[in-house]
Amino acid sequence: MNWPPKPSRKGSPNARTPADAAPRAADARPSAAGGRPAAKRLRATPPTTAQSGSDKAGLAFAGHELARASLDACVKCTICETQCPVMAVTPLFSGPKYAGPQGERFRHGESVDGSLDYCSSCGTCTLVCPQGVKIAELNAQARAVMKSGHMPLRDRLVSQTVLMGKVMTPLAGLANGALANPLARLALEKAVGVHRDAPLPTAQPQSFAQWWKQRGGSKPGPQGRIVFFHGCAGGYFEVETSKRAVEVLERVGYEVVVPKQGCCGLAQQSNGLFDQAAKSVLKLCDALLSTGRTPGSAKGLTIVSASGSCTGMLKREAREILGVTDDRLADVSVRVRDIMEFLLDLHEAGRLPLDFQPLEMTVPYHAPCQLKGQGMGMPALEVLRLIPGLTVVESGRACCGMAGTYGLKKEKHAIAQAVGKPLFDMVRATNPDLALCDTETCRWQLAKSSGVRTEHPIYLVHKAYGLD
Amino acid sequence: MSTVVVIGAGLAGLASASRLAEAGIDVTLVTKGLGGLQLSQGTIDILGYSPQRVTNPLAAIAPGGPLVPDSTAATGLIHPYAMIGAERVKAGVEYLAELLGESMLVGDPTRNFQLPTALGGVRPTALAAPSMAAGDVKAGDKWVIAGLRRLKDFHARLVAGNLARTTLPDGGSLQVRAVSLDLPAVKGEVDSNAVIYARACDDQGFRVRLAGELKPLLKRGEKVGLPAMLGLRDPLAWHDLSQKLGTQVFEIPLGPPSVPGLRLNDALLAHLRRLGVRLVNGNRAIGYRAEGDAVTGIEVATAGAPRVYRCDAVVYAPGGLESGAIAMDADGELSEALFGLPLARPDGELLHGRFWGAEQPVFRVGVAVDSSMRVLGPDSAPVWANLRAAGGLLGGANRIAEKSGEGIALGSAVAAADAIIEELS
Repeated sequence: MNWPPKPSRKGSPNARTPADAAPRAADARPSAAGGRPAAKRLRATPPTTAQSGSDKAGLAFAGHELARASLDACVKCTICETQCPVMAVTPLFSGPKYAGPQGERFRHGESVDGSLDYCSSCGTCTLVCPQGVKIAELNAQARAVMKSGHMPLRDRLVSQTVLMGKVMTPLAGLANGALANPLARLALEKAVGVHRDAPLPTAQPQSFAQWWKQRGGSKPGPQGRIVFFHGCAGGYFEVETSKRAVEVLERVGYEVVVPKQGCCGLAQQSNGLFDQAAKSVLKLCDALLSTGRTPGSAKGLTIVSASGSCTGMLKREAREILGVTDDRLADVSVRVRDIMEFLLDLHEAGRLPLDFQPLEMTVPYHAPCQLKGQGMGMPALEVLRLIPGLTVVESGRACCGMAGTYGLKKEKHAIAQAVGKPLFDMVRATNPDLALCDTETCRWQLAKSSGVRTEHPIYLVHKAYGLD
Repeated sequence: MSTVVVIGAGLAGLASASRLAEAGIDVTLVTKGLGGLQLSQGTIDILGYSPQRVTNPLAAIAPGGPLVPDSTAATGLIHPYAMIGAERVKAGVEYLAELLGESMLVGDPTRNFQLPTALGGVRPTALAAPSMAAGDVKAGDKWVIAGLRRLKDFHARLVAGNLARTTLPDGGSLQVRAVSLDLPAVKGEVDSNAVIYARACDDQGFRVRLAGELKPLLKRGEKVGLPAMLGLRDPLAWHDLSQKLGTQVFEIPLGPPSVPGLRLNDALLAHLRRLGVRLVNGNRAIGYRAEGDAVTGIEVATAGAPRVYRCDAVVYAPGGLESGAIAMDADGELSEALFGLPLARPDGELLHGRFWGAEQPVFRVGVAVDSSMRVLGPDSAPVWANLRAAGGLLGGANRIAEKSGEGIALGSAVAAADAIIEELS
C-alpha cells in the first residue's frame, strides 16, 4: 500500500470552487463550539479585499465572473431538471440546465433562449446542484441582459415597492377598496399586466416607522443592542410582523435600534433592473451602517430581519447576482441574520428564554425559496419546536409559485398557481386556520390561494411569549 | 443530547442519518446539493462481478469468497468489504429494504436478479424495484420492448436487438422484439425526459391512453419492457398498467434523470424529515473544529457568514472521486478536500490512456478504515477518534466494474452508525 505524506492534523487545505471562494467573514458565532476562529485556523483562501465602489456591479456584471466561473462544473446530471418546480408544470420553460449552463456557453452577452423569461428565479436549481453550479444566478443575469432595452412598464412598476408603500399607506382604506374591486383589477390587468387574481399587498393605516417613532424606541436590554432591518414590505405592509419581531427581540433581552431605511432592491434585481437594484442595496447598506456601532468598538452590531428574502439579498444575492463587491455590503452581509436564525443561535448559546406558554396546535410551515437559498437549514422549524404543545409540519414543497413578483404577472399567473397547488393542498389539509412562512409575497400567495391565514413564524413565538 | 453531523446525502449519508436518528440521536445532515442516489438505477448492487458474473453476492463477499483476497492481491489495497464484513452488508441491505418496504424494494441478498439495461445488456443486482422484477431474465421468455418516440433516452430497437443476440447467464436466450409509440407526455412537447413521463404516468388518464396504444401491439404470452417512467408518486402505477395490459410489465432503468433513483431518494428524505433530522442543504462543509483527538464541529459555508454545527461524532459520506470529494490536480496529486485525510492508492499508475481498456486504478483511491469505519492514517491509527467514513469515500473497491456501490454504502453506513450509537449511549 502506498501512502502520500501524512497531512497535518491541524490544517485543512480547503479546496474550493471559484464560486465558493468569495469573500466571507468568519465570525465567532454563539453556536461555535470552542476552538480558535475559523479564519486563522482553517481558511487556506484568504478573504479577498473588498473593492471600493461598485464599478462592475449592475448590468455590466451580468453573465460574468462568479456565476460564470461555476458553469464548467456542470456534469449534466439533470438533478436540477427533476427538481425545477416551473418545468414540472409548463413546457414554456426549457428548464434550468438548458437555459443555464448549456445556454450560457452560447451567449457571449446575447440572448439565445426566450424561454428564460419563464424561469421564476426561485433558485431551487442552485440549491440542489451537487456540483456548485450557480444556475439560478446565471439565469438571472442572462435574463437581465435579455430584457434590457425593452423592460416592460409593469416590471418597472412592481419593483417600486417603497413607492407603493408610501402612496398606499396614507390612503389605506381607499387603496385596499380599489384593489378589492374586480373592475379595478381587470383594468389593472389590461393596462399594466398584473393578473386580476394575483395577491397584492394590503395597505396599513400606519407604517412601521410611524409606529416606532410614536412608541419611542427601545429600552436598554441585558443582551445588548441589535439593529432591526424591516425592509419595504415589513415597513409598509407587514407592519404587524415587524412589530412582533421587535417585541420578541426586546422580550429576549435586546435593545432594538431601527435606522431609517429603504428597500434592498430585490424586486428590481429579480425583474432584471440590475443597475437600480445595485443602487438600492448600497443605499440600504449606508442606512444600516449609519447606526449600530457599539461605542468604542469597531465591530458592528448584528442586524436582524423578519424578511427572509431581503436577508438573502444582503447575504449573498447582491454579490452573487448583481456583482456588488463594495465593502459596505461586505460589512453588512456578514452581520445580517434572519430572525429565526438569530433566535436559534441564541438558543444554541443557551441565551434564549424558554418560558414559552404551551400552544396546543398543529401548523404547516413552508420555508420559502429565498430562505432555503441561504443554506442554513430551517431555523424556524427548530425554534418553533421549542414551544410546548406545538406541532409544526414542514411542507416539503419546493415553491409556492410566487417567487417575488413572478406570480403577479398575467402571463405567468397560471404557472405560479400550478407550481403552488400541492403546497396549497398541503396547507389546507394540515390546518385550515393558520399557516406559517418567512417571506411576505409568499405569505400573500399562500393566504390568497389556499384561503388559509398565513403568518411569519415569529407570530407564534410572540404568542408563546405571551406578548399578544 | 448527543449530536452527530452526517456529511453527504447519497445512499450512505441518508442511511446512516436514518439509523442514527432512529436511535434517538440528534442528527444534522449537511449536503451541498441533492445526493447522487437519484442518479442511480434505483437498484441495490452488492456484488455483480468478481470478475465473473456473481449469482450469490453475500457468499461472494464473505470470507472464503473470491472477491476480497483477489482484489487485495491485485491492487495492494484492502477491499472495503474486508473491513465491513458480509454480516453488516446483509444488515445494511435488510435495514433499507425494511425501511422502504416491498412497494419499493424486493429481492434477496443471496441471489442476484439479472436485469435488462437500457443498452440491452444483462446486469446482475441484488435488490430492485418491484416494477423491475418481471425483467429477471429467463431462457425462452418472450419480450416486447416498448419505446416512446419523444423519450429520446431509450431506444427500444437497440435494447431488443442487443438482448436478442445475448446468451443469458444460464446459457439460454430470449425472444425479443421492439415496438414504438408516439404518445406525448405533455401536449406540444416533442422531447420529454423520463421524469416528465413519470409524472404523466401518475395520472390514471394517461395510463389508460398508454395501455390503449400499447395493447393492440402485443402478442400472446409477451412480457412488456418499458423505460423506467411508470409513475413518480404513485408506487402502483406500473401494477395498474400491467393489469390494464393483461400481462407482466417491467421497467428498464435509464441514465439520469433516473426515476427509480428519484423514488428512493424522495422516500428516504421524507423518512428523515419525519424523524426530525436537521437538513442543511445548499452549501459545502468547508472546515472543522477539533479538540484533542476529536472533531467537535463542522463549519458550513452558509450565505453571509459560515455556521458551525457542533458534533459529538461525524459520519463523512461525501462520495469519492466522482463527486469531487477526492480531487486530482493537474499534476495528478490527489487530495481529500475537507479534512485533508490521507488517501490510500493502488500500486502503480493511476490513470492510463486506454479508455476502453482495463479498469482505471484511480477509481480505487479512497480512505482506509478500521472495522468501525474510523478513518485510518498511514500508521493504522485513527486520524480522529470520532470521524467515520461511509460509502464512496472508502478506497479499495472499483464500484463501477464490480457493481458493489450500494452494498458498500449500506454496509459502511450501518457499521459507522452502530459504532456511534454504541459509543454515545
